[in-house]
Amino acid sequence: MKREHHHLYPQTDPSTSASAAAGKSKMWDEDGCGGGGDDELLAVLGYKVRSSDMAEVAQKLEQLEEVMFSAQEDGLSHLASETVHYNPSDLSSWLESMLSEFNPLPPPPGGFGGGPLSVPVAAAPPRPQPVGDPFLPRAESSSITTVDFGADQRMQSSCGRSSQMNEPPPEIGSSGIVFDEESSSDYDLKAIPGKAVFGRAQAQAQAQAQTRTRLASTSSSSTSSSAVTAKRFKSSPSDAAVGAAPESSRPVVLVDSQENGVRLVHALMACADAVQQDNLSIAEALVKQIGFLAISQAGAMRKVATFFAEALARRIYRVYPQNPPLDHSLTDALQMHFYETCPYLKFAHFTANQAILEAFEGKSRVHVIDFSMNQGLQWPALMQALALRPGGPPTFRLTGIGPPAPDNSDRLQEVGWKLAQLAETIHVEFEYRGFVANSLADLDASILELRPSDAEAVAVNSVFELHKLLARPGAIEKVLGVVRQVRPAIVTVVEQEANHNGPVFVDRFNESLHYYSTLFDSLEGCASTQDKAMSEVYLGKQICNVVACEGADRVERHETLAQWRARLGGAGFVPAHLGSNAFKQASMLLALFAGGDGYRVEENGGCLTLGWHTRPLIATSAWRLGGPSAGAAH
Amino acid sequence: MAGSDEVNVNESKSVVPLNTYVLISNFKLAYNLLRRPDGTFNRELDDFLDRKVPANAIPVNGVFSFDHVDRTTGLLNRVYLAAPENEARWGIIDLEKPLSTTEVVPVIIFFHGGSFTHSTASTAIYDTLCRRFVNICKVAVVSVNYRRSPEYRYPCAYDDGWAALKWVKSRPWLQSGKDSKVYVYLAGDSSGGNIVHHVAVQAADAGVEVLGNILLHALFGGQKRTESEMRLDGKYFVRVPDRDWYWRAFLPEGEDRDHPACNPFGPRGRSLEGLKFPKSLVVVAGLDLLQDWQLAYAEGLAKYGHEVKLLHLKEATIGFYFLPNNDHFYRLMEEINEFVHSNC
Repeated sequence: MKREHHHLYPQTDPSTSASAAAGKSKMWDEDGCGGGGDDELLAVLGYKVRSSDMAEVAQKLEQLEEVMFSAQEDGLSHLASETVHYNPSDLSSWLESMLSEFNPLPPPPGGFGGGPLSVPVAAAPPRPQPVGDPFLPRAESSSITTVDFGADQRMQSSCGRSSQMNEPPPEIGSSGIVFDEESSSDYDLKAIPGKAVFGRAQAQAQAQAQTRTRLASTSSSSTSSSAVTAKRFKSSPSDAAVGAAPESSRPVVLVDSQENGVRLVHALMACADAVQQDNLSIAEALVKQIGFLAISQAGAMRKVATFFAEALARRIYRVYPQNPPLDHSLTDALQMHFYETCPYLKFAHFTANQAILEAFEGKSRVHVIDFSMNQGLQWPALMQALALRPGGPPTFRLTGIGPPAPDNSDRLQEVGWKLAQLAETIHVEFEYRGFVANSLADLDASILELRPSDAEAVAVNSVFELHKLLARPGAIEKVLGVVRQVRPAIVTVVEQEANHNGPVFVDRFNESLHYYSTLFDSLEGCASTQDKAMSEVYLGKQICNVVACEGADRVERHETLAQWRARLGGAGFVPAHLGSNAFKQASMLLALFAGGDGYRVEENGGCLTLGWHTRPLIATSAWRLGGPSAGAAH
Repeated sequence: MAGSDEVNVNESKSVVPLNTYVLISNFKLAYNLLRRPDGTFNRELDDFLDRKVPANAIPVNGVFSFDHVDRTTGLLNRVYLAAPENEARWGIIDLEKPLSTTEVVPVIIFFHGGSFTHSTASTAIYDTLCRRFVNICKVAVVSVNYRRSPEYRYPCAYDDGWAALKWVKSRPWLQSGKDSKVYVYLAGDSSGGNIVHHVAVQAADAGVEVLGNILLHALFGGQKRTESEMRLDGKYFVRVPDRDWYWRAFLPEGEDRDHPACNPFGPRGRSLEGLKFPKSLVVVAGLDLLQDWQLAYAEGLAKYGHEVKLLHLKEATIGFYFLPNNDHFYRLMEEINEFVHSNC
């Protein structure tokens, strides 16, 4: 017997197995939007299709199949290897973009909303550069300025050619520069084909499709789930877990004999529980037991347990870690080892740079504002890619923001100098400013010396920095407001893919326990024991902060991609999708640099994640400014 | 061909719900992009397009999951279990106790489909299916992330299946019943069904007990073209040349489809007479062009004296079990339920 089903209407025949049949809740529920909501059955499977669009999507599938059939091998091959694909969860857009490969359309009436990373079609071409503009450096010079936006309000500036400063020849190998000449030529970003940018034809087709279907465009990712804002439970394809809101998801990957380590995990969780209940004598006893259990473990489990136990002990005995850490050179060294040992930071930099490069396409003056300057590890690769651009490099301005150094050394200045030296050798006009600030929230747009946006394209970059702002009320909102004022062409955000900022201590503890266990596991494959040890200390500090600190001191307030989507969407940004080209190159990068076999790049609703086996650990997303109506409307 | 494709498009659209049509057509289209005529495969784009979900130790609708990796081999299994009754234990993976000391809780080792080439244990369609198995059939499920072709040809998938079987049988926390043993069933769709057969044979040869096999429109074939292949070619989402491509990608280079992996009861096949082979539930979709092979498989088992239950869903297409929006889905679940609980 055959039954026609329309998912818009509740089922008339739920056998008792029907309700149990739902691998998720609300299978038969009419969702509150009536016919306008997403098909819930497909949503669980990772595909976002509005019920009202289903027939149209079916038609597109048929059209595309026909077209592909006629195009035969050449067409298929082009579609598979040349075309850049975006956000396969959004079936309608994905199909539309492929259809437009075969049928270029006339320009749309207006601009278009969010969507794949691209230059807005309606944008005016860059104006010719004014001659003699006092703000623009002369050709071939680099200038470096450091502004200390601290209590001192000291302004230091030093301008001029690096050759006048008696600097030693650039030490490309060890200092700020990541890859040596050889390796960089294998993977470097010149490999990004021109077609990596979502082309005009596709953009137009996209625009057409989107204005045709609905107003709010690729809010696909940002409007969904919203653990923060949604009152109703609603699943999102990018949430992945069957119907789970981000904070109730706990991906666990056990490796080998960790089945024995499970007892250790239980003891840790029980201890955290006791701490939360303020049963300090029990907690104390458990911490000691954990010590014994940890010794019998091998590898990652033992180390993770030790760090967590220490953090718990600090909490019990109220010996809190000092914050901020005093020794920056140690932090720098630890981060460098972490950088070398495992691919997480490389992936973060690489994928963010991909998005930035695409946004800078066709721009002759570009400006990167880096919230996460540290040792400037991200920028040599970008600069090299810019240098190799067909038609020559743009003028590259870098604004680096970082915390003050307690020994009053001007770290930011030094980093800038090294980058200036690199810029000189690769013939990129370079200008640098460093800003010292205790918190990003101390910044105002006026300080950043912005130039008119038609003269200069701006990228704002944040790698593992935004979550720290969540420690102070109002800080993230302020910073996002400043970012808006900057009018960036692109905002790149890389964050840990975890919820370590829930209100309940035990939940935070358990989440981070599993997160760092997986992270430490991934380090086990590393050949160099010293690098590994330093990386573990680097991560151990994070663990300590998550577990032992509270209030303004607890800065490691990681949140999930879904949560960041909600925040950024709410602040008026729309997603700029990373596509299959970025995915492919990130995968290739992994193959070159990753120690172990277990690293995985995954596509998640236009963002890319890097994880260990099936557990995503960090997520890169890119954003643009939405229109005036974006933000609250979502 | 284009003309007949138009007719075919309308036919398949009329026998499944619209969202099923969209789902399976989407796979068909994507897979067309990924297979290259020279036999190579666009793995990066396949990975990019694949919709995956991580495991979740916190129960959702009564089911939680976690992954296990063997560090030496890299083989990953995803385990699905019913949520503990005590909510305080949610999110905590307890590997110290058996599933039950009184009742039998069958453990289904599941091999996902994808013609040996596509999908993984974390692919959303399969993660969802396994969760539904746990809920509806009251079982534990272990989904095996076996190595795929063309990078890993025969016998890699079978080897991984065998390794998974041994692993499952040796987990104390998968035991149940009064005699504390692991009650194992093997299940799989498409290529997974094929893997079920071959792992079961290996188990029987080795004296490892498997209580039953469940084959969901399993991938079998042979050099000759059967009547159903010719009649249904291109009609319901599947084309014969595509099937050929996947066999060329899986079988050892130079082999043809009468290789026993593809055609276990064919000219190069093996007799299962006298072997202590489990009972089988063979599910055939009436609109699947491979049904003649699957029906022949069921007959072959019977001929060798083994217990077979044939579930021939005459109006079902491939993939009918991905969405619980049709009768066939519920019928299947009922049959599986009965199949795995009738031993108790």
